[in-house]
Amino acid sequence: MSVFAFDWYMIALLLFAGFYCMLASRSIVRQLIGLEIVSKAAMLTVISAGALTANLVFAQALLITMIVIEVVVVAAGLALLVKNFRVKGSADIWKLDSLKG
Amino acid sequence: MDKGLLAYLLIPLLSAVVIPFAARNRPKLADLLANVTLLAGLVNLLWLALRPSVIAGGFADIPGDGFSLLLVSAVYLVGLCVTFFSAWFLDEKLPNRQAYYSLILVSVAAMTGVVTTTDFFTLYVFIEVLAVTSFALITTDDSGAGLEGALKYFFLTFPASALIIAGISVLMLSLGSLSFDALRVFMASDIPSGPVTFGAALIMLGFIIKAGVVPFHTWTPDAYQGAYAPVSAHLAGIVTKISGVYAIIKLATLLRFFDGRAQALSGILMFLGMLSIAVGALAALKQTDFKRMLAFSSISQVGYIVLAAGLGTPLAVMGAIFHLFNHATFKTVLFLNSASLEKSAGTTDMEKLGGMEHSMPWTSWTSVVALLSTAGVPPLSGFWSKLLIILALWEAGLKTYAVLALLFSIVTLAYFMMMQKKVFFGRKSQAAESSPEVSAPLLAPAVLMSAVIVALGLLFPYFYTYVKMVAERIIL
Repeated sequence: MSVFAFDWYMIALLLFAGFYCMLASRSIVRQLIGLEIVSKAAMLTVISAGALTANLVFAQALLITMIVIEVVVVAAGLALLVKNFRVKGSADIWKLDSLKG
Repeated sequence: MDKGLLAYLLIPLLSAVVIPFAARNRPKLADLLANVTLLAGLVNLLWLALRPSVIAGGFADIPGDGFSLLLVSAVYLVGLCVTFFSAWFLDEKLPNRQAYYSLILVSVAAMTGVVTTTDFFTLYVFIEVLAVTSFALITTDDSGAGLEGALKYFFLTFPASALIIAGISVLMLSLGSLSFDALRVFMASDIPSGPVTFGAALIMLGFIIKAGVVPFHTWTPDAYQGAYAPVSAHLAGIVTKISGVYAIIKLATLLRFFDGRAQALSGILMFLGMLSIAVGALAALKQTDFKRMLAFSSISQVGYIVLAAGLGTPLAVMGAIFHLFNHATFKTVLFLNSASLEKSAGTTDMEKLGGMEHSMPWTSWTSVVALLSTAGVPPLSGFWSKLLIILALWEAGLKTYAVLALLFSIVTLAYFMMMQKKVFFGRKSQAAESSPEVSAPLLAPAVLMSAVIVALGLLFPYFYTYVKMVAERIIL
């Protein structure tokens, strides 16, 4: 197995782990951790693609920007989680059901 | 980056930075600065697109591909309506007034970035900026419903971003470049397009989730219903359309669906479009909350745009672009009217409202104009865009889709008529007795947008020339 096939194999495993974490847990915080794992797997694809096409500098530049953006998104998401916990007093995803129609 | 329109990105951004400092102790100054920024931008854009010499020349002098100019105008138009409405709507006690206007302006800047960019990575960056501002805007009033909507939006758009990143890296592997032009040139050549189409399909899947097309639509009604009232007009009118639907249309033209390249993707996209038309319209029939019904109607209208984009012939792309612009106008009117109802009657529950026409005639009649346009009744603007889409489907030999699209257009009329009857027409209810018409400044944006709807319908030949020019430029 070549190095790159191995890379993408691991990436697929990581994606699966992330989605499994999202599906299996009720706590919003754990779901966010699952999402983080998914997005890290997606970022690994970028660096792997850069290495494969001998374009590592470009891939690194993209990746650093992506990490910065992701930090902002996660910070906003965490703020939502904390606020939700203060208002509702629980972090259970199944209790987010007040909007229905 | 389209450099001709860069100023429309930078000026709102600058204004967003200035507002929290300049207006720290004077909340009214925040209203003023936000409105002046957007009004100046809109006037400037109108001059760019509608001065007599440009109209006489058949819009040949438009900078860029014309598509971005049209959408930047739509962004500014909806943004101005929302900020003007907010200036009179916001609670005096709302502590974060400056932050609210800053966020609206940043989201306008991000949307301008989305529609003027020319490569996938910049597109991703601006989409994420837009998503972050949306989370914050939805929770403006700190209500439990707003938080719930924002969390659902967050949990569904975040995996979408991961898909877009994965698609970008597949494109890097197979195409070696991320610019739109490289993809366009590649698709025009005869090289087998497998991996490139796969990368583009991953990116498109991400945008389908962000647009709220049917299998992934669950966040849309919750986010629209839970959001702070003027923000739901901003979100439904323009934000989700730019962050999802725009990129779908762009990818559809770049992948040259009309050439028969990437045929499987085109077929799937059309199927999903039809599915959203059907599910959105049928779900809207049985809603009891005004805002939630509008949200399902929005899903259904997005279905028309996606269906046309999936077909991808020049006529269908024209229809999609035109319907995207129309959707921004009529959905803004309806959501702003729901905000007026909320302010005046204190609820958007359709069972509790009734006979509001007697006390709120202006709100009622602007809603009628907007809903007739949504349902595609001539001579309003929605008729022409739906006509273009259905004609394109018929011409391409997809008669089943054409007939279904037409039928669900009638269902659209049905649920809107039910809404109008329950909320505005009929006997005066208790709510109608005690709720007066909202003040003139709150009505002005809805009246302006209704005027745009009627004007676009009546001046259709001019607009047709414009959209035809756009379709020719982005397809060839």
